[in-house]
Amino acid sequence: MEIIVCIKPVLDPDMPPAKFSVDSKTNRVIPPEGMPLVINPYDALAVEAALKIKEAKGGKITAVTLAGSFATEILRKAVAMGADEAININDPAFEDSDTFSTAFILAEVVKKIGKYDLVLCGRQAADWDNGVVGSVIAEYLNIPSVIRAKGIVVTNGKLRVERVVANGFEIYEMGLPAVVTLSSEMGQARIPTGWGIINAVKKKIPVWTCSDLGLDPVRVGKTAARNSLVKLYTFSPSRSCEMITGKDDKEAAGKLAEKIMDIKP
Amino acid sequence: MENFDAIVVGAGPAGCAAAYTMAKAGLNVLVLERGKYAGAKNTWGGALFGSAMNEVFPEFWKEAPVERSVSRHAISFLTKDACLSVDYKDSHSDGSSTPGFIILRAKFDQWMAGKVEKAGAIIAAGLEVDDFIREGKAIRGVKVGGEEFPANVVILADGVNSLLAVKAGLRGEFKAKDLKQGVKEVLRLPREVIEDRFNLRGTDGAVMEFVGHCTLGLPGGGFIYTNLDSLSVGVVVQLSALLEKRVKASELLEEFKAHPAVQSLIRGGELLEYSAHLIPVSGISMMPKLFADGIMITGDAAAMVLGTGLILEGANFAVAAGVAAGNAAIRAREKNDYSSAALQSYEQALKDTFVLKDLNTFREAPHFLENERIYNAYPQWACDLMSRIFCSNGKPRKNTFQVVRESMKGRFNIMQLFSDFMRARRAM
Amino acid sequence: MKVEDKLALNKFEVDREVHIRVDEQICDRCEPKDCLYVCPAECYVIRDGHVTFSYEGCLECGSCRFSCDRGAITWVNPRGGFGICYQYG
Ligand SMILES: Cc1cc2nc3c(=O)[nH]c(=O)nc-3n(C[C@H](O)[C@H](O)[C@H](O)COP(=O)(O)OP(=O)(O)OC[C@H]3O[C@@H](n4cnc5c(N)ncnc54)[C@H](O)[C@@H]3O)c2cc1C
Ligand SMILES: Cc1cc2nc3c(=O)[nH]c(=O)nc-3n(C[C@H](O)[C@H](O)[C@H](O)COP(=O)(O)OP(=O)(O)OC[C@H]3O[C@@H](n4cnc5c(N)ncnc54)[C@H](O)[C@@H]3O)c2cc1C
Ligand code: SF4
Ligand code: SF4
Repeated sequence: MEIIVCIKPVLDPDMPPAKFSVDSKTNRVIPPEGMPLVINPYDALAVEAALKIKEAKGGKITAVTLAGSFATEILRKAVAMGADEAININDPAFEDSDTFSTAFILAEVVKKIGKYDLVLCGRQAADWDNGVVGSVIAEYLNIPSVIRAKGIVVTNGKLRVERVVANGFEIYEMGLPAVVTLSSEMGQARIPTGWGIINAVKKKIPVWTCSDLGLDPVRVGKTAARNSLVKLYTFSPSRSCEMITGKDDKEAAGKLAEKIMDIKP
Repeated sequence: MENFDAIVVGAGPAGCAAAYTMAKAGLNVLVLERGKYAGAKNTWGGALFGSAMNEVFPEFWKEAPVERSVSRHAISFLTKDACLSVDYKDSHSDGSSTPGFIILRAKFDQWMAGKVEKAGAIIAAGLEVDDFIREGKAIRGVKVGGEEFPANVVILADGVNSLLAVKAGLRGEFKAKDLKQGVKEVLRLPREVIEDRFNLRGTDGAVMEFVGHCTLGLPGGGFIYTNLDSLSVGVVVQLSALLEKRVKASELLEEFKAHPAVQSLIRGGELLEYSAHLIPVSGISMMPKLFADGIMITGDAAAMVLGTGLILEGANFAVAAGVAAGNAAIRAREKNDYSSAALQSYEQALKDTFVLKDLNTFREAPHFLENERIYNAYPQWACDLMSRIFCSNGKPRKNTFQVVRESMKGRFNIMQLFSDFMRARRAM
Repeated sequence: MKVEDKLALNKFEVDREVHIRVDEQICDRCEPKDCLYVCPAECYVIRDGHVTFSYEGCLECGSCRFSCDRGAITWVNPRGGFGICYQYG
């Protein structure tokens, strides 16, 4: 099994909320000082899923990331977990790529790698929560895809995927190659071992540029972006507190129930 | 399994200096750091003084993330309401001496680790060493959660809380009376405000130490360091004194910040981070055995900190000692002998450098600094004296000598003063 | 500002495993309760008359370990990568 895993660096979802700020003038997130980006938690699950398949069936895992900064750290994390190869897709021309051009570039990366049975992604990037890239890669590659998987099994060259839906899960079977995006229901990603971390530090990680991929710069980056960000701001919910009293607990509870029923969604 | 020439535990100043020295000499070095990244666990005052860092990384300040260079050093005595300061300024413009550098550790340690990695060592962060591989009495590597990492020699640079030093049999546990607790806040303030308020130009910086009321008279002190666009504000107090007097350092810090003399310097600062760390302060008397078969210990783990009261110097010592340990490992490899006898050259090298020389010179200082009069009676007295000299109450003034005598009344007697003075001379 | 609010500004990588264990039975028989004064993160508090310990805000300074002379505290570092992650230090 040749597995390609797409991983994205994101702002640490566990960072203290007070550290988060946006610049509404430029519509950009202000990166908090001294806080390294981390691997998108869903993408760590994609690596985990790949490792489980490799442990069962053998094969090779290649992690790819398309990002300006922190790409190496994030790729090292995947290698530390057990990925065999890592590729850093990096070119100034890729800057300000949107979801679609990102998926386009990643699809080209998959084509250049050439041999693949499975492309794994996270269900969504934990920063913008778009959840689009995986499916669009599948479109560009013209192969089947399943999103929000909680489990993947490969038997007799076929893929069996459990997909999370609102009130349970559905089971899909399909041929290879395919794209699958992983959801949190999949479980927990492993913590790298010590030797895993050492191997990752030693790993040479190649950089593929726009010209390595033979791409026309007009088809990527800002010029190719199909969606634009109109307004970025932090939402500050307003809170108010009202003490509900009554002559006894029963009356107070009754009033509370009425209040709740009055709240309009 | 790969066998390393040397494994260094901890990527602080001591560990990085040791690893860099060895990697440059071509040794196959592994540094294991328990923080998510180098610096993640480290906090300090802090300013780096002395030349040791410059010898390892020449002109490091040109490339490393240093906040400011020290051009102003102030020492203040605090009473509840008053403050008496000695303020020393040196622009270092003649270039004859290197100034100190004010540094934030989380950033600086990452930079050091990067240099070590470029020199060829492997820095593996996120790994906590919890045991040793042993062969008889000799140490032959380390363990991390059951995984083994063999090496010819292990250098412990794991800081004041070194559980490994105890496990290796180099020392017993430190005692509360030999430790100080530092608590610190980093407060964001705009650059211009800092430069205005502290009277600084460009990237010049100020180091301010406070004694007296900031610790309610307990052994220790308060500090303010100017970073580029933030202040480091904290107190350092003897751990055993906190226990005896049943006060919390976090409360002392709040009182320190509220002191009029301090409040005016830090007002408007927005809290960015709250941190705490211990410091081994008893010098030579708490120092462990420095080496054994297959192992050396360096930096805070070996209590190589100089606290003369006016200054607290640990990083400079950690770096110099790290280099000495690194060199000892290089010599050991040349002879292919990592026994205790071969590693003795480490201790010898320390004796030849300022590390053990200074710690010996100032070996009385920790004891002297336990004297509570320094934190209580003397600051009170000094401020009171000033108030008597400067305050005009309408009556004819007395001569200064008379004022001094009167101000001492009931606080301490002349013999105590004399004996403290003599002890200070010996200790400093 | 309360210590709790200060800690909320710090970045922690909270582990599911507890790194410091406190034998609360020993604490019940302990008069001085020194740990209450030394912890800069106020991880030790009195609740319903008993000392309770929570590890989440621990700054890993080690103070408590040098302060309890009754052997109630088993102190080790958190697993590698977990615990406090200073941004400034
Ligand atoms: C130079 C450069 C700078 C960039 N700067 C930023 C930035 O500041 N902020 C930002 O959010 N993005 C940045 N990106 C990345 C890119 O803009 C986004 O990845 C893209 O917009 C898709 O993200 P999404 O949130 O829509 O993904 P989603 O559709 O939510 O992602 C779903 C899954 O797709 C995969 N995936 C998504 N993006 C990538 C990627 N980049 N590499 C590998 N796999 C991926 C992951 O498996 C992810 O779980 C940059 C890219 C480059 C080349
Ligand atoms: C409040 C305060 C103010 C100070 N002010 C100053 C000052 O102004 N100037 C000055 O020179 N010094 C100052 N010091 C002292 C100085 O910080 C230390 O002396 C110096 O950091 C010692 O360096 P080190 O490398 O020995 O230890 P540390 O810097 O403590 O580094 C030890 C490293 O080992 C890692 N580690 C620990 N255990 C393990 C393990 N089991 N496995 C893997 N890694 C491990 C830690 O995460 C850490 O990175 C101050 C200290 C404090 C607390
Ligand atoms: S931890 Fe130690 S000091 Fe604290 S209450 Fe328990 S026994 Fe007493
Ligand atoms: S190590 Fe320090 S911060 Fe953690 S519980 Fe003990 S005293 Fe508190």
